[in-house]
Amino acid sequence: MPRPLKLLLLSILFVFTGVNCLAQSTTGTVSMSATVSKFVEINSGGSVTLTGNSGGGVTTDGVVNSPLAVSINLGELGPSNTNSFVSASVPLKLRSNAAYVLSMTATVTSSGTTASKIGAADVGFGLGTVSRTGVGVNAGSDTNATSGDPTLPANGSVNAGTGRYEFTAVRSNLSAFSSATTALSGPIIMNAVPRSNANGLTVPALFAVKPQFFENGTTTISVTFTVTAP
Amino acid sequence: MSKMRKGFLTALAITTLLMMSAAATFAQTTGSVTMNATVSNFVELTSGGAVTLTGNSGGSIITDGTANSPLAVVVNLGELGPSNTNSFVELSVPLRLRSNVAYQLNMVSSVAGAGATSFSLKDTDVGFGLTPAAARPANLAAGVDTNATPGDPTVGGSTDVNGRWVFAGANSTLGAYAVSGAVLSGPRINKTVAGNSATNLTVPAIFAIKPQFFDPAPAITITAQFTVVAL
Repeated sequence: MPRPLKLLLLSILFVFTGVNCLAQSTTGTVSMSATVSKFVEINSGGSVTLTGNSGGGVTTDGVVNSPLAVSINLGELGPSNTNSFVSASVPLKLRSNAAYVLSMTATVTSSGTTASKIGAADVGFGLGTVSRTGVGVNAGSDTNATSGDPTLPANGSVNAGTGRYEFTAVRSNLSAFSSATTALSGPIIMNAVPRSNANGLTVPALFAVKPQFFENGTTTISVTFTVTAP
Repeated sequence: MSKMRKGFLTALAITTLLMMSAAATFAQTTGSVTMNATVSNFVELTSGGAVTLTGNSGGSIITDGTANSPLAVVVNLGELGPSNTNSFVELSVPLRLRSNVAYQLNMVSSVAGAGATSFSLKDTDVGFGLTPAAARPANLAAGVDTNATPGDPTVGGSTDVNGRWVFAGANSTLGAYAVSGAVLSGPRINKTVAGNSATNLTVPAIFAIKPQFFDPAPAITITAQFTVVAL
């Protein structure tokens, strides 16, 4: 390429570059991306209620909106306890921005060695009335997979053949929860409100044991609730 | 008669000679140069520098602002659901304005990908405001800028009857800017300084979102476009 032509092209390039450098910018953009992930939460719904116990007590009570870590001594479950049932009501509080499933796993270990020891089937269980109240809580219909209060007459009776009291209704005792099993499910719980909103879905988890001529010994009942967003 | 005629002709000849002499003396002694020029309206918007992102959970600045460069900021605000326990996710974007005339800064915005239920994140859930200085610095042309927003959107605000967070005041959310609208205006910004002068009006644009129980949404996009025009 002839030198004069090169110089001419170079000059044109410089001129255009200069024009671009001095171009007036009058617009600008701010682009933001974000995510809202599924959120499900279980906490204590408040204080535990223990009734019908003999020598028992609430060792670690529930504190509303705090992690659920309740510890209860049910006391005497043998025939010296003349109450109809030893019952513990544990309030649960659930919150979510999506449909949820509350499942439960339970284990019952007893020092007894015979068929008369306390077993999982001797511990009645059910979820009580579900409450969706307060500002920011979405109205929705929840499905209770249990039979409700295990002390209701419809949920148990004395076995005519063995004389042992049995919780007979669907998912009315802990033997139905030896592996993770759904106890409650439903649609989104919270409307679009800040996390500082303290409301949520509350439901009592009801446990009951009928004092009987169980084999003497100590028993530990452990229950774990887990809430998930399917 | 002929004497009079001769005298008249003589006088005429002398006058003509004098005039010709004078004309010859002043010829080509002045000149002129005429120049045309224009000063056009000049308004300019660029980045005022690095952005500030606070209260985020998992967010980050992807493309930061660079002072005096075209504004093209990209930010990931991160999690906006209740697992983010911060009070607000807040983004401050410095805007840099220059002009030789009265100006108006406009903004148009959009929110996409957040879902369509009443619990989805809406443009009204994205707080917005400008926080210009109370007075211009002395190196700028004197004048008062009019802020059409209420300022920092994290100031004030409260929950409504449904428990949802509401930003305080008019023009305090992107809901007010679904179509282009003025956010700031004022008289000439710069004094008569060179084009490469660094003097400018820097105004932070603040975006804020209150983490809430919004509907899950994996890919929300929020866009704000600013345009400055001469009035």
